[in-house]
Amino acid sequence: MANGIGNSTLIETQHLVKRYGDKVAVSDVSFEVQAGEVFGFLGPNGAGKTTTIKMIVGLLQPTSGTVKVGGYDIQTQPLLAKAASGYVPDTPNLYPKLSGRELLRFVGDLFEMERQQVDRRIDELLRLFDLVEAGDDPIDSYSHGMQQKAALAAALMHDPKVLVLDEPTVGLDPRSARLIKDMLRQLANRGAAVFLSTHILEIAERMCDRIGIINQGQLIAVGSMEELRSLGKGETSLEDIFLSLTGGAEYAEITEVLG
Amino acid sequence: MTVTTQTQPQPGSNLWRTVGKLLRLRWVIFTSSFRRGKLRNKIMTIILGLLILGGLAVVFVISWALLKFLRSPQLAEYVGDVSPFLESVPVVVVSAAFVLILLASFGVLLQALYLAGDMEFLLSAPIPIRAVFVTKMTQAILPNFGLILLFALPVLYGLGYSEGYNFLYYPLVLIVLASLALAAAGLASLLVMAVVRIFPARRVAEILGFVVAILSFTCSQSGQIMNYSRFSTGQALQAFNMLTRLDSFWSPLAWAGHSLADIGAGRWLSGTALFLVTVGMSGGIFALSLATSERLYYSGWASVQVSTRSKRAARTPRRAASGGLPLAALVQRVVPPPVRAIVVKDFLMLRRDLRNMSQLVTPLILGILYAFMLIRRGGEPPAGRGEAPAEFMAALRGLMVYANVGISLFVSWSLLSRLAGMAFSQEGKSYWLLKASPVSTGKLLSAKFLVAFLPTLALGWGFLVIISLLQGAGLGLLAFSMAAVFLIIGGTTGLNLTFGVLGANFNWEDPRRISQGSAGCLGAVASFMFLLASLALFFGPTTLIDVLGGPQWAGQLIGLLLGGAFSLAVGIIPLWMVRRRVALLMEK
Repeated sequence: MANGIGNSTLIETQHLVKRYGDKVAVSDVSFEVQAGEVFGFLGPNGAGKTTTIKMIVGLLQPTSGTVKVGGYDIQTQPLLAKAASGYVPDTPNLYPKLSGRELLRFVGDLFEMERQQVDRRIDELLRLFDLVEAGDDPIDSYSHGMQQKAALAAALMHDPKVLVLDEPTVGLDPRSARLIKDMLRQLANRGAAVFLSTHILEIAERMCDRIGIINQGQLIAVGSMEELRSLGKGETSLEDIFLSLTGGAEYAEITEVLG
Repeated sequence: MTVTTQTQPQPGSNLWRTVGKLLRLRWVIFTSSFRRGKLRNKIMTIILGLLILGGLAVVFVISWALLKFLRSPQLAEYVGDVSPFLESVPVVVVSAAFVLILLASFGVLLQALYLAGDMEFLLSAPIPIRAVFVTKMTQAILPNFGLILLFALPVLYGLGYSEGYNFLYYPLVLIVLASLALAAAGLASLLVMAVVRIFPARRVAEILGFVVAILSFTCSQSGQIMNYSRFSTGQALQAFNMLTRLDSFWSPLAWAGHSLADIGAGRWLSGTALFLVTVGMSGGIFALSLATSERLYYSGWASVQVSTRSKRAARTPRRAASGGLPLAALVQRVVPPPVRAIVVKDFLMLRRDLRNMSQLVTPLILGILYAFMLIRRGGEPPAGRGEAPAEFMAALRGLMVYANVGISLFVSWSLLSRLAGMAFSQEGKSYWLLKASPVSTGKLLSAKFLVAFLPTLALGWGFLVIISLLQGAGLGLLAFSMAAVFLIIGGTTGLNLTFGVLGANFNWEDPRRISQGSAGCLGAVASFMFLLASLALFFGPTTLIDVLGGPQWAGQLIGLLLGGAFSLAVGIIPLWMVRRRVALLMEK
């Protein structure tokens, strides 16, 4: 673990399964994320990352298995589990006719925050994400990056113990991406659990304390970089380990032919 | 090393071949969506096509008969000579067709150029930009042209048949209408560029949708307040004269109309000259507009908006309502923050999206219209043929006292079916935010209930109070009516909200396409049945006791007890039954 925060499990999935008819989207996925940890969740397209994330934040009901967030079961104690977490989806579908400021106030009220605290937090987050000027403009006038930042600000409104992010850096300029990376690290250092999915392996390698790799709905590897290296056949970079585990290495031949 | 330049043609350099390919693509999209559509939709499309063909024949026969009738000497005795009007029929039809194509093309081109999302793909492909624009304009013209032909062609052909025009008239009608459609679409493209330069395209589309919806609804209902039985011959002639004013010497549209009439009547010289001027001018306008709009689009002129308003100053954050209104403080104490937040958010969203507003304003227009009709009639029941027994008419008169409640509920009902039936669907793809928040099903349903109930109640009570005051109704009656409206709207809200949960659809981009499936229709049927039943329970006892000669308050009390209990049950029980379903929304 990157810091000295005590071992308390903030995300725990056990034998998580999600089926759509005959199709198994997530199959028997079990892992834990501790307080103070940044956990990277990797996998090829359609591997089951977003489905797993949606089950963790309570957007999808698992076919079987359990998810605990902040110590609360998302199915039996959904309100407590949701109150402990913040979520940023891969596509920031926000209410287009609300302004950024109104959106944050709305989220603050949903989480039953004190009025003064809401006002203070809105000012802080708008300043942090460089949205002060656009704060009173409707969200449908925001660029994709600004909407992504607004979604992140909304997820941070109630200062969650658990932060779940699906592809958080997509569409962000380098400055904003750096800000988010630094912020996630700070949140973890303060004792939160950060769970993020990403396709950018460099981010995962540099930011995450532990990494889980999912392929065809199954969690095929979990561990720190050192632990993942020991699983491979001598690969040192996360990209090589990822391709070796998920079977993408054969594409090298295709690129050679195209080249 | 030597570099050899080959003189092979660039891909897509042939303009018309590329236009053909792009139009074929549209055709493929249309046919494949028809092929893959549901059987019900296919049958509906075929029936619609047959109806249109039938409609064409009907309009032709009606126009022919009407125009022949206008020529009759008997009519001339009453209204005088209508020849000037008949002469101007082609001008009126051609002018109306031009204006309608211009307006309709504006909407279609706005969508096709700025909102469809395929422009970037097409402009980055190795094809001439002009081909893209020609295709987009054709896309805008074809459906509107078809629609205009549907009404204009039978009238003009009917005129030709009744006036005995020669055979050249008929193909020339098509050519003139097609040229004018091209010119109208060209001008519409320039108009789109100019408007988008000032306002964001999405906002323009919203305003356009709002205006079109309100106008078409108002026009469709205007017959209710018109009193056609009092339409005099003088007024008819005045209307004819107004139409002939379009036939001005300086109007190019009048030239187009006269070219057809002159050629049809064998006045070859003037007819051919006007025809050539019409076709030449239309072609010129189209070519010029095409080149200009293409340049304006490609250079980005239209996309760079010129702000017409100064930036709003950042709002100062609202402080806690310590010294606010007592009512606001009470609401803050009684209504939990998540419920309050959802209610405020929904009202803001409804108010700010004009596409929603058009659906919400229609009940208001409907209400005003029917209230006006009721007041005009003076609260008296229709006399009929006068053979009904006196007791029946007395009971009917007694019931008419409560007609105000009926009007208020009718107005509220149409608003409610939109607000409650779409309460969940209107969240759209943003529903994840609510679903991932710690908001219980009870609070969520309460918030959605209030969002639908409060404005509907305000509207229903508003109408009730205004009509009752205008009719001089007593306070007791008003209080009873208000209580009945309150409870019935409560029941209808619960019922509609239940169907809103069952038929929730979050997958839409345009709020006008929220409604999906049969839940909305079933909800409307169920709430209508409930309305009838609750009205019977509220007003049945009062009417019965009234007829029996008992005190009015006793009937009203029994009505309140029966109707109130029934309304509360319908407002709560169905919602309680679907509460588990709320937790599973958006999981498909």
